[in-house]
Amino acid sequence: MSKIKKLQKLLESKEITCAELTERYLQNIERQNKTINAYIKVTAEEALETAKKVDEKIAAGEKLMPLEGIPMSLKDNISTKGIETTCCSKMLQGYCPIYDASVWESLKNQNSVLLGKTNMDEFAMGSSCETSIFGVTLNPRNTDYVAGGSSGGAAASVAGDMAVFGIGSDTGGSIRQPASFCGLVGFKPTYGTVSRYGLIAYASSLDQIGPITGSVEDAAIIYDCLSSYDPKDSTSVGSKTGTRDKIKDSIKGMKIGIIQEFFDGINKDVKSSLEEAIRVYQDAGTQIVPFEMPKLNAVLPVYFIISCAEASSNLGRYDGIRYGYTSDAYKDINEMICKNRSEGFGKEVQRRILLGTYALSSGKYDAYYKKAQSLRYSIIRDFKKIFENCDLILTPSVPVTAYKKGQALVDPIEIYMMDICTVPANIAGLPAVSVPCGFDENNLPIGMQLIGNNFEDYKVLNAAYQFEKLTGESFLRPEVEI
Amino acid sequence: MITKEEVLRIAKIAKLYVKDDEADRLIEDMSTIIDYADAINAIVEDRDVEFDDINNIANAYNEDVVLPSYDRDEILKNREGGENGYFLVRKSLRG
Repeated sequence: MSKIKKLQKLLESKEITCAELTERYLQNIERQNKTINAYIKVTAEEALETAKKVDEKIAAGEKLMPLEGIPMSLKDNISTKGIETTCCSKMLQGYCPIYDASVWESLKNQNSVLLGKTNMDEFAMGSSCETSIFGVTLNPRNTDYVAGGSSGGAAASVAGDMAVFGIGSDTGGSIRQPASFCGLVGFKPTYGTVSRYGLIAYASSLDQIGPITGSVEDAAIIYDCLSSYDPKDSTSVGSKTGTRDKIKDSIKGMKIGIIQEFFDGINKDVKSSLEEAIRVYQDAGTQIVPFEMPKLNAVLPVYFIISCAEASSNLGRYDGIRYGYTSDAYKDINEMICKNRSEGFGKEVQRRILLGTYALSSGKYDAYYKKAQSLRYSIIRDFKKIFENCDLILTPSVPVTAYKKGQALVDPIEIYMMDICTVPANIAGLPAVSVPCGFDENNLPIGMQLIGNNFEDYKVLNAAYQFEKLTGESFLRPEVEI
Repeated sequence: MITKEEVLRIAKIAKLYVKDDEADRLIEDMSTIIDYADAINAIVEDRDVEFDDINNIANAYNEDVVLPSYDRDEILKNREGGENGYFLVRKSLRG
């Protein structure tokens, strides 16, 4: 059930005013955020101002736009003019963008109600929000566990009823993994369909903005509002097809691909939930087709080399001169920049900059960056071949469920391995959604991922929507009266 | 295995200081990750696949027309207004 549609009905029928709705969400943030730490900045004043505008429109009998009056959150790497945007890094504390990200501009034009900016791993580099200078975000499903990352705050804002939807970004799974951990829908659209203008870059060829929602229909509504060509983003192509009208299509006869390697070595509860999900699809008349992906073992090293290389270049702009953190004392310009960067960036960010610089340095470029790029296009070709014979690929979203707080993995390779299911879609620019499909023995949510061919976002959301219906919405969060 | 000298050389390029007490741990982590990344060099391909944009889009060019830009004072707000339209940094002297 679409919460966006439900709330808009309440607003249009004047059962509740937008100001009252916004107040209730703000009160919920007030009550819960101290524990959950989903928001790092609450924009109550701006939210109530927008709500007032919406109420005036309703009073004048005007029809609402699809996201008008809906309280929502933005990840803190999405630029908001005049509102501090920090990427949860000391480097950008106090920084106020002088322009809006295109997605925020679209939402603003719709009078979506911004409740605040959400917590994330520093510069989106991490998978538990533990690298944020504002500390970890806890999982509203069970506060002994983390919400995931890097869009952990966005997911927790929705899972904790502190926003109707959250806008996050996904470079290697940063929307889908926290959505999976929090029992929500997380959608990473096809690369280029949603503008990245104003998204503070981590790895530009992998980054993509998308929604985290309580239901697939809400994700489709938001995607349709945000996907359009933007001349300010040179990689923008916009969407070729709307999704909202297509999600309810029949999935009978659809071919769903399974790649066995994604299921090897995963948590037993995740595995059995996924097997059950496959049975649900089979019973609905889809055809399950096995595929092989021999280059799957190359996916993570390729991702790591490319993302770090791009990060080292993208983060080269932070010198502390024009904005952000600046050190107190230095002898010369070189020391000033080195000090600003060394004191401003956290350890994980510095490690990735160093690794990226290494992969791009003379003598190493061919062995790492060039080879990784070449393999990347091999992987893209492999996906193209697979999609000649199927509509979607079904995998777990994450091989495990949420981590216990304070028990995050320490071995860097083990941490990166957890992204194995989500990273391929970023490497190939494919659309992918995580939908709740079960619970583990601790009652923590399990996510299923559906990956589609480029620009077939509607198919991904169609199959996800039908799964929600076929399972009686039993894995969705229970509706909470706000 | 990456050496300390290599890490320090890279850090210099990246304009980052590596603290002495953090160097060993950093080298160990970087070595683990680089060894892992080295796995790609064991994958033999028939030929190098040519680079291409993911969505096969050509370079995006803007029309060569002057559009309104950002207000200088707005930009300088992130540095307490700057001075005479310039960013101000603290005076630094060698020595």
